Amino acid sequence: MKSETAVQLPARTQQNTAAWLRNRVLLPLISHAVMIVVVIFILFPMLYALLLASQTPSEYYNLKLLPGTALFDNIAYAWNRINMGRLLANTTFVAVTVAIGKIVLSVIGAFAFVYFDFRGKNLFFVLILLTHMLPLPVRIVPTYTLMDSLGWINSFQALTIPFLASATGILLFRQLYQTIPPGLADAARIDGASPLQFLLHIVVPLSATNIAALFLIEFIYMWNQYLWPLVIANSDSVRMVQIGLRQLVATDAAVEWHYVMSGVLIAAVPPLLLLLLLQKNLIQGISLYEEK
Amino acid sequence: MKVRRIAFSLLVLLALILSACAQPGQTPTEESQPEEPAATQAPEAQEPSGDGPVEITFWHAMSGSREEVVNGIAERFNQSQSQYRVLPEYTGSYAETLTKALAAYRTGTAPVIVQVYEVGTRTMLDSNAIVPVYTLNQGEVDWADIVQPILKYYSIDGNLYCMPFNSSTAMLYYNKDMFEAAGLDPDQPPTTWAELEEYSLQIMEAGAAPGGFSMGWPAWIMEQMYATHNQLFADQDNGRSGLATEVYLNSDFGVMVLTEWQRMAEEGVLVYGGREYAANDPFLAQQFPFLFQSTSSLGGILNAAEFEVGTAFLPRFEGDFEQGNSVVGGGCLWLMNQASPEQQTGAWEFFKYLNSVDETITWHKETGYFPATNTAYERLKAEGWFDDEPNHATAFDQILSGADTPAANGVLLGDFVQIRDIVGAAIEEAVVNGVDPKQALDEATAQANQVLQDYAELNQ
Amino acid sequence: MRPPLRPTRSSRTTPNSTSKPVQVIVWGAECLSRQRSAPQTFNGYMNTRFPNRYLPYFLIGPMILVVLLFFIVPSAQSLYLSFFRVNTLGTRSIFVGFNNFVRLVTSRDYLNSMLVSLQFALMVVFSGLSLSLFVAVVANQRLRGFAFYRAMLIWPYALSPAIAGLVWGLMMNPNFGLGALLLRRLVGINFNYLTSSLAAIVFLALAATWKMFGYNIVFFLAGLQGLPTELLEAASLDGAGSWQKFWKVTFPLLSPTTFFLFIMNTLYAFFEIFGLVHITTQGGPGQATNFLVYNLYQDGFISLDTGFASAQSIVLLMIVASLTFLQFRFVGQRVHYL
Repeated sequence: MKSETAVQLPARTQQNTAAWLRNRVLLPLISHAVMIVVVIFILFPMLYALLLASQTPSEYYNLKLLPGTALFDNIAYAWNRINMGRLLANTTFVAVTVAIGKIVLSVIGAFAFVYFDFRGKNLFFVLILLTHMLPLPVRIVPTYTLMDSLGWINSFQALTIPFLASATGILLFRQLYQTIPPGLADAARIDGASPLQFLLHIVVPLSATNIAALFLIEFIYMWNQYLWPLVIANSDSVRMVQIGLRQLVATDAAVEWHYVMSGVLIAAVPPLLLLLLLQKNLIQGISLYEEK
Repeated sequence: MKVRRIAFSLLVLLALILSACAQPGQTPTEESQPEEPAATQAPEAQEPSGDGPVEITFWHAMSGSREEVVNGIAERFNQSQSQYRVLPEYTGSYAETLTKALAAYRTGTAPVIVQVYEVGTRTMLDSNAIVPVYTLNQGEVDWADIVQPILKYYSIDGNLYCMPFNSSTAMLYYNKDMFEAAGLDPDQPPTTWAELEEYSLQIMEAGAAPGGFSMGWPAWIMEQMYATHNQLFADQDNGRSGLATEVYLNSDFGVMVLTEWQRMAEEGVLVYGGREYAANDPFLAQQFPFLFQSTSSLGGILNAAEFEVGTAFLPRFEGDFEQGNSVVGGGCLWLMNQASPEQQTGAWEFFKYLNSVDETITWHKETGYFPATNTAYERLKAEGWFDDEPNHATAFDQILSGADTPAANGVLLGDFVQIRDIVGAAIEEAVVNGVDPKQALDEATAQANQVLQDYAELNQ
Repeated sequence: MRPPLRPTRSSRTTPNSTSKPVQVIVWGAECLSRQRSAPQTFNGYMNTRFPNRYLPYFLIGPMILVVLLFFIVPSAQSLYLSFFRVNTLGTRSIFVGFNNFVRLVTSRDYLNSMLVSLQFALMVVFSGLSLSLFVAVVANQRLRGFAFYRAMLIWPYALSPAIAGLVWGLMMNPNFGLGALLLRRLVGINFNYLTSSLAAIVFLALAATWKMFGYNIVFFLAGLQGLPTELLEAASLDGAGSWQKFWKVTFPLLSPTTFFLFIMNTLYAFFEIFGLVHITTQGGPGQATNFLVYNLYQDGFISLDTGFASAQSIVLLMIVASLTFLQFRFVGQRVHYL
C-alpha cells in the first residue's frame, strides 16, 4: 500500500481552488511529463539499437532515421558469425547451474546456521561473510592459476563452481528462517521428522518467493559475466554470450554496427524475458516494505 | 501466483533442455590429462584421438571477416586429406591469444599452432615452448621463395623459427574523391610529410574534409618511421644480436617526429584516432583524406568505402636520412612443442598447404595481407591482379624496394607489448594532451628501458 | 504478530506471507553491517535447535569448500604473489618484498588509474543517486499507470554493462551516432569518446548510470513508500513547506536506503564495469579510462606481470574492505526504528 503523501483535498473555498488546481492538475501533469521523459531516456538507446540492427552500413552512414529491411539478414549473419546458438546454450547452462547451485547451497547452509549449533559455527559464518569482501578482481590471478593446475581452463567447471558461494544467499535465507516461528520446528521434532524432512517440506516451500527472486538475480548476474569468461574460454565450446558480442565488435576495418546491434538484441532477450516474468517478485518485495 | 510458477518452471525446463545441448561439446584441448607443468623443453604428448584424423588446434586472433577466410582455408585443408583435421579457434586479440597459449602451455594444454603477432616474437623465442619451423623442413619448402623482408623478420642467424602467415606493413590510404574535390591529382599521392601536410590543408580549405590524417596503431607507425629512415630503435642491432636493454625513443629523430605530429595536431591536420583500428571508422566516414594503417585493413576498407580508395608508400621526412624499409607486422604461426609427433607432422602439412600458391593467393586477395612467397607474387602479377587492383600492390612494392639493414629489419624486444603501450601513451600525451614531446619521450624511454631490464633479469 | 526485537526497517512479515522477496537483500546489507559476530540469539528468542552433530557440517560443507578453495586461498595467494616478480611464462620468480607496492605508489600510470576510477565512481554515484532520487520523488505522487512506469524503468537491470557500452557507443559514435549528432547540432559540442579523455570518461559514466538508473529509482521508491507519514504530517501541521519537509524529514529518514545505494553503486562502479571498458574504450584514449580493474587485467593477463597485478589486487581488497567497514559503521547506527 502506498503511503499517503501530504496531498490533502481541502474544501473548495476560494483560496483553496488554486491549491486544488495545483495538486490535482498541475502536479500530476508535471509528474507524468517527467516520468515520460525518463522512460524515453531509458528506452531510447535500445530503440536506436533496434533501428541500426535493421539497416545496412550505407544507410546508417548516411544517417537514415527510418528502419531498414535488413533485420533478419543481419541477425542471421551475426548468429552464424559468432555461433550464437552455441553461445546461448553455454550461457544458459552456466547461468542456470550457478543460480540453482547457489540457491541450493545457500538454503541448506542457512538452514544449518539457523537450526543447529556446532563447533566452529561462528568461524564458518565469518568465512562466508568474507566472500562479500573478495570480489573477483581481488583473487583473479591466483584463481586463474588454480584453474590452470586443475585443468579447468576452457571448461564449464571453471565457469560455474567458483560462483557457487554467496554471502548474499546465506544472509537472505538466514534472515528468512529466523522469522519462522519456532513452533513449527518443535512440532516437526515432536512428530519425529528429521531435520531434512523439515527442511524439504516446511522450510523450502516457505522460501519459494525468495528462491524465485534470487534465481532471477543470479541468472542475470551470470548471463552478464564478462571478465571471467574472457580469460577462461578459449573456444566456442564454452564461450559465453558477452564475449561473443566482443568478437562481433573486434575488427580490423570498420566496426559493423548493424551486426553488433543484432547480436546485442539476441543476447539481451533471455534475461529481459526472465525479468519480465519475475519482475513482480522483485518489485513486490522491494516495495512491500511497510506493512503496518 | 500459479501462472508465475508455471512460467518459471517452463523457463527452467527450457534452460535445462538447452543446456543438455551444451554439455557434450568440449574441444580436444580438454582431452589431455592435466600433468605437472614441465619447465623444460620436454614435449608432453597430448593424447591423439585414437581413430579418426589427428586434431590440430590452431589458435588465432583473426577477427571480423578474416576469421571466415581462416575457417575457409582450414576447411579446404581438412577436405583435401583425411589424416589431419585443423581446428581454428578465435581466442581474442593478439595479446590475449598469446597469453592464453602461454597459460595453456604451463599446464600441458597448449594448442598445436598459435598465431603470435610480431611483437611477441622475442617472447616466443625465449619461451622454450616451440619447435622451430626450420627443423621441420626437409627440403619441401624453398625458404628463398619467401619474400625476404618477412623471412628476415622471423629468422635468427638465417634460420626461420615460425611459419609466416599474415604479414602486413603500414601504408598510406587516401581518399581520391577528396583529392579531386580539392583540385589535386588523385594519382599523385604525397611522398613526403611536407606534401602530406600541404595536401591536407588544401583539402581542408576546399571544405572537402574537416581534418587531414589519422593513424591506426600509432606506436607502430612510430616504429615504421624509424625503420623507413634507417634509424635504430634499440641497441644490440635492434635486439637481433642480443637482448636489447635500451630503446632510442628519445633520440633526435624520435623527438623530431613527435614534434611534427604535435604541431600538425595543433593545426587540426592530425586527427588523433585512437588505438589499433579505431581510426578506420572516421576515415570511412570521410572525416579526413589520409589514413596510416596496416595493409590488413585493405580488404575491409575497400568493401566499406563509399569513395575511391588510393594507397601510397609511407611518406618520408625531409633530411639526411638513408633509405630504410617499412617493418613487417602481422603475425606468424608457431608450432608449440607440447604437440605429439603426429600433430607436429600434421602441422607441418598444414604449413605447407598454407604456403601453396593457391592458398597464399586466396589469403592475399581476401584480406590484403601480403602474398608471402615470390611465386605467388609472380602469379598474381601475371594474372594482371595488380593491374586491376593496384592498391594491393602498394605495400608489397614498398617493402620490396627497401634496404636490408638491422634498422630496416625491425626491432625485437622483450615484453614488447608493454613497450608498445608505453610508446602509444607517449604519443597520446604529446598529440592529445599537449605534453612536450621531448619530455614525453624521455619518460617513455626510461619506462621502456626499465621493462627491458626487468625482462633481461628474468630471462637470462 | 509479535514485533521482532531486531532493529530492522520492517520485518513484520509473517512466515505465511507470500511476499517475502528481495527486500531482504536490502536488509542483507544492513544485516552484514550488524554482524560483529554471529549471534546466538535470533529474534530475541532461541530458535529450535536440532540435535544432530554431524549433519550441519554436511549442510554447510559444500559452500565452505567453495569459499576456501576459490575465495580464501586465492586471496591469500594474491597477497603472497604481490611480494614477487614473475616472468611472463610463470617459470621464474624473484622475491622483491614491498617493491611492487612501491612501484604502484610511484607509478604515474597507476596513480592516474586511481584518479580516473575515483572520478568515474563519483560521477556514477552522484548523478545516479541524485537523479534517481528526484525521479522517485516524482513517481511517488500516486500516478495512474505507475506499474507501467516501473516496468519501463527497471528493465536495464537485465542488461550487461558491456551491452550498455555498445548501445551507448553507437548513440555516441562520432560519425553517425544520433546522440553525438544532436550534441553537435543543438549544443555545439563535439563529443568524441575515442579521442577525448573527458568525453571518454563521461561516456562511460553515462552508460553505467543509465544501466543502474531504474534499479536506483525502484529502491528509492520503496524507501519513500515505507516512510512513516505521521512524521510528515506532523511537519506539515507545524507549517513546514515541501522543500523543508523533504530535506529535514524525508531525506534523513531515507538515509539507510541512500547509504545502501551508495555502497551498491560504488561497488558497481569499481568492480562491475570491466566489460563496459573492455568493449568500448579499452582504457583509452591514453590512460583516460584505465580504471583499476582494467589496469589489473592488462598487467595480469596481457603483460603477464603477475606479481605486479597481485599487488593491485591487494589494493582493490583494501578498497572493498574500507567500503565494508563504512557499511558496518554507518548503516548500523543510522537505521530508524519504526
